[in-house]
Amino acid sequence: MSKRQLPEGFQDLEPYLEWSLATDRERSIKRQTSPMTKITAFYQAVVPRMDEILAYLEQYPLEQVPADAQRLFYLTLSLAKIAPAVEMYGEPVPEGLDTLRLENIDIYPTRS
Amino acid sequence: MTLQTNGATGGKWHARYPELGTGPVPIEPYISLEYFEKEREHIFRKVWLNVGRVEQIPEPGDYFVKDLAVCRTSVIIVRGHDGQVHAFHNMCSHRGNPVVWNAKGTCKMFTCRYHSWTYGLDGTLRHIPDEKNFYGIKKDAHGLTPVAVDTWEGFIFINVDPRPKETLREYLGAAGESFEGYPFAEMATGCSTWEVDVNANWKVCKDAFQEVYHIFSLHNKSTGAAFASTSNPYLNVHELALFGPHARISVPANLDWKPTPVEALARRYGMLALQKQGSSSQGMPSGVNPTASPDWSFSGLIYFPNMCLFVADGGIIMHTMWPLSENRTHWEARTYFPKAKTLAHRFSQEYSRATFVDGVLVEDGGTFEKTQSMLASGAKKQVILGDEELLIRHHHKVTEQFFNA
Repeated sequence: MSKRQLPEGFQDLEPYLEWSLATDRERSIKRQTSPMTKITAFYQAVVPRMDEILAYLEQYPLEQVPADAQRLFYLTLSLAKIAPAVEMYGEPVPEGLDTLRLENIDIYPTRS
Repeated sequence: MTLQTNGATGGKWHARYPELGTGPVPIEPYISLEYFEKEREHIFRKVWLNVGRVEQIPEPGDYFVKDLAVCRTSVIIVRGHDGQVHAFHNMCSHRGNPVVWNAKGTCKMFTCRYHSWTYGLDGTLRHIPDEKNFYGIKKDAHGLTPVAVDTWEGFIFINVDPRPKETLREYLGAAGESFEGYPFAEMATGCSTWEVDVNANWKVCKDAFQEVYHIFSLHNKSTGAAFASTSNPYLNVHELALFGPHARISVPANLDWKPTPVEALARRYGMLALQKQGSSSQGMPSGVNPTASPDWSFSGLIYFPNMCLFVADGGIIMHTMWPLSENRTHWEARTYFPKAKTLAHRFSQEYSRATFVDGVLVEDGGTFEKTQSMLASGAKKQVILGDEELLIRHHHKVTEQFFNA
């Protein structure tokens, strides 16, 4: 498992690969089932690197993203998902309807 | 400005629409099965209902099925070989089986799973296996039963009334007209929906999106401060306007609000669906920021009976409430968004969706079942509405008009 998972220059984020999840539902479950300490650690590791990450990702056309860059991209989607937990709520999910009851469908094209 | 009695400082919307009164509203409409059945017969089986967008069926043969329990039917919406959108009751002429079982797809013909009776995209009955077994059947008299269908700004509406009293355009009236020209097609290149069945009356859900008075309170940890400001702490709106059965709402932004670090990042790479600052309504139709306010965030078409369509500079948010019974609702919350140009833009849109889920699905949605259970308690017979909650009052009034029509 010494094979590099993230692009050159982003190896320091490899401890957070558990957040590199392909679907919205996986990211929702991850957010909902992680303690704030883990969510915050991920947030603090990724936020300072975001300028660099997004600049790096912007070089790829949407349809030709290499696997390592795709993993890095999924980290940013998880950041989008958990940012409100850290910046607004101070807890993994806000009080209210359980997000796992929601069925999320991309009705037509869309994202990945 | 003269003050109302009881120290009330508002009353400006009431002054504009005095016929709606100021009294409390009965709870009965939210809990009564009998009332729900009247809504079904007098409203949902009579009016134009939005079931989707044209982008869902771009090519001839593309179709989707909409189960409309409240109309007691299931409808196939298909793009025909003529390029037009058609709608049919999803019911085989043979013995009533739904012709299409899947939610969407592409086909050249509809073939009933039960006995393989086959229909064209135009609904005509094309083939009956072992046709000689039937008694002088005239195929051209047994096509799929059509449902009235029309489009407005790319939104597909159906009407299960066999003879609709008005065209879609007549029904939309001046309210719809005032949103025509918003870049719907460009803004709706993609669509994500979140759907959930909630144990609440459909109007409990709709009411949450007919007023923004709750934003400073319910959303105090999330978006509250982005909208409400020190000069407008309870987020009094720029405009409430009524147009026949429909209404319009236009909502301010707090220009002094400072985005969080990740929100700032997301905004750098794209507009958020509900951008709270830096929104421009330049070039937009008259219903979008109708007061031309510099501190504008978004405007909404509150379409009777069951759709709230919110448009902003950066995207579209739409809620549709499909009643299942007097205390159950299938709620569809959708965000439409333009095509992402880069991965960074996709990140930006994902942040927009994440805050939509937290702020709207979770926080607003979290009130529905709680409210319903107390409305059903019988402890109180009525609820109280303020001036900023005019549209809820209006909905009840319009319903009465439909019942008495």
